[in-house]
Amino acid sequence: MSDLPAAARLALAAALELQDGEVCFVGIGNPSDAALLAKHTHAPDMSLIYESGVIGSDPKDPPLSTGSPSVADGAMMITDGLAVFAELQAGRIDVGLLSAAQVDPWGNLNSTVIGDYHNPKIRMVGSGGAHDIACLAQRLVILMPHDPRRFVEKVDFITSPGRDAARAGLNLPPGPVSLITERARFSFESGVAQLAATMPGFTEAEAIEGIPWDIKIAATFEAVSEFAATAVEVAESRLSYLFN
Amino acid sequence: MDKSTGLSALVEEHIKNGDTIFVGGFGHCVPFALGFEIIRQGKKDLTFCRSGTDILFDIFIGAGSAKKVVYGYLGNPGIGLGHAFRRAVKAGTLEYEDWTNMAMILRLEAARQGVPFLPSRILQLGDIAGASIEVKTMECPYTGETLACIPALKPDVALVHAQQADRAGNVQFMGVDGDTVTGALASEKIVVTVERFVEPEEIQKSPENTRIPSHRVSGIADVEWGALPSYVEGYYGRDDDHFFAYDKEARSEEGLADYLKRYVHDCADHAAYLDLVGEELLAKLKAQASARRIA
Repeated sequence: MSDLPAAARLALAAALELQDGEVCFVGIGNPSDAALLAKHTHAPDMSLIYESGVIGSDPKDPPLSTGSPSVADGAMMITDGLAVFAELQAGRIDVGLLSAAQVDPWGNLNSTVIGDYHNPKIRMVGSGGAHDIACLAQRLVILMPHDPRRFVEKVDFITSPGRDAARAGLNLPPGPVSLITERARFSFESGVAQLAATMPGFTEAEAIEGIPWDIKIAATFEAVSEFAATAVEVAESRLSYLFN
Repeated sequence: MDKSTGLSALVEEHIKNGDTIFVGGFGHCVPFALGFEIIRQGKKDLTFCRSGTDILFDIFIGAGSAKKVVYGYLGNPGIGLGHAFRRAVKAGTLEYEDWTNMAMILRLEAARQGVPFLPSRILQLGDIAGASIEVKTMECPYTGETLACIPALKPDVALVHAQQADRAGNVQFMGVDGDTVTGALASEKIVVTVERFVEPEEIQKSPENTRIPSHRVSGIADVEWGALPSYVEGYYGRDDDHFFAYDKEARSEEGLADYLKRYVHDCADHAAYLDLVGEELLAKLKAQASARRIA
């Protein structure tokens, strides 16, 4: 277990957030890995939806794009983007999974720009469907590698809104419920990220190491002692590219 | 009416300097042959739009074809940043509008329906609205809720690559669509390349696969491998290596210039480009094609 690569640990930790029977709107990369892992362990009846318009997807190889061949191969339905974003806005998507370059204590995500918007240090790719998923998914799960540079007191640009008091007045769902790293699960009951769990092999201190804001311990705190052996096996076979 | 012509005539006739161009292809059926021909012909001052872009947008920027880009996402999917885009934003040489993928789809859908906007719950929180775009809101006359008014975007011309069509331009398409059909039908003109022409009788065998009717199509050419290095369901797989190689080359202006010279400017036409790609790779990608085909 201790020799598991970080990306596999992140997928294993995030998969715990997903329940069987849920409809899950996924982005490429870590989110896709976690959703696939859940589907092939404890959530066989979960439906993966990609913004390209693919429903009931089950990629055999890691897709580079939501429009890649492996997203379409073996899918249960191919429709268009309008149809899947309509489902999202109508509140019919249980959970959205997102990653980003930066996250702050409220779960605001930045995938647009590092530095000033009009005079950027690094111009990035922009929202894609991330803003839409963050606004509209009934639950939002954020996945971030434990890289302290990605955790900031305030994101440079809010591409995808986190917990925001204005959500209720706009009839939007509450936003992020958890922020998952390979070391920890953070929850948002209080409106800001609190340490809710440590992941196998990591202490509380390691879970928050380098994160620049003051993190409280959630009342429901638990230490996850180990990942299920079956989940690790599925990760090794199904997500073998994370082990190279 | 026969609307068929060649690739270069299609671009000469239907793309004008200054046009706003919707680019079809959400990872799948990206109209690279049309795009490269636009660069080859030196078309200028173009505005390119779609939801999630492919490296073709970054290539347009690097080639100097784009005056402006309007998008939900602009990069090299799953690999990284759009390097020409990144440089142009920093240098202040490019106009750009950051939307979201859903917003772009709604903008095109509004134009497709002929209405000035569609209401939505997105773009009311966060920093996107107000950065490079203005999004007005309204109070719903029925419920009193506050909603964002996502404005229609009506492109001058759409570029589409699809599996097959007849020469009149009844276009049959299957596989990942994204906003391809929405954006095409939103546009004033639609120009199309297909992997193959079929007779009208073939179209009539499965009219449910016709996604764009001939009366909306301005011109059409049969261009085999017209989406390479992206893929076409039933014809060939995606050349992922090309996208990784582009990521390396485009990191410097010189590298991108080499890429453009090799794949676009030094290729007299699409056939020369395919020669450069080489039979071995084409055969490999053909073998990766999915078994799903329009009957």
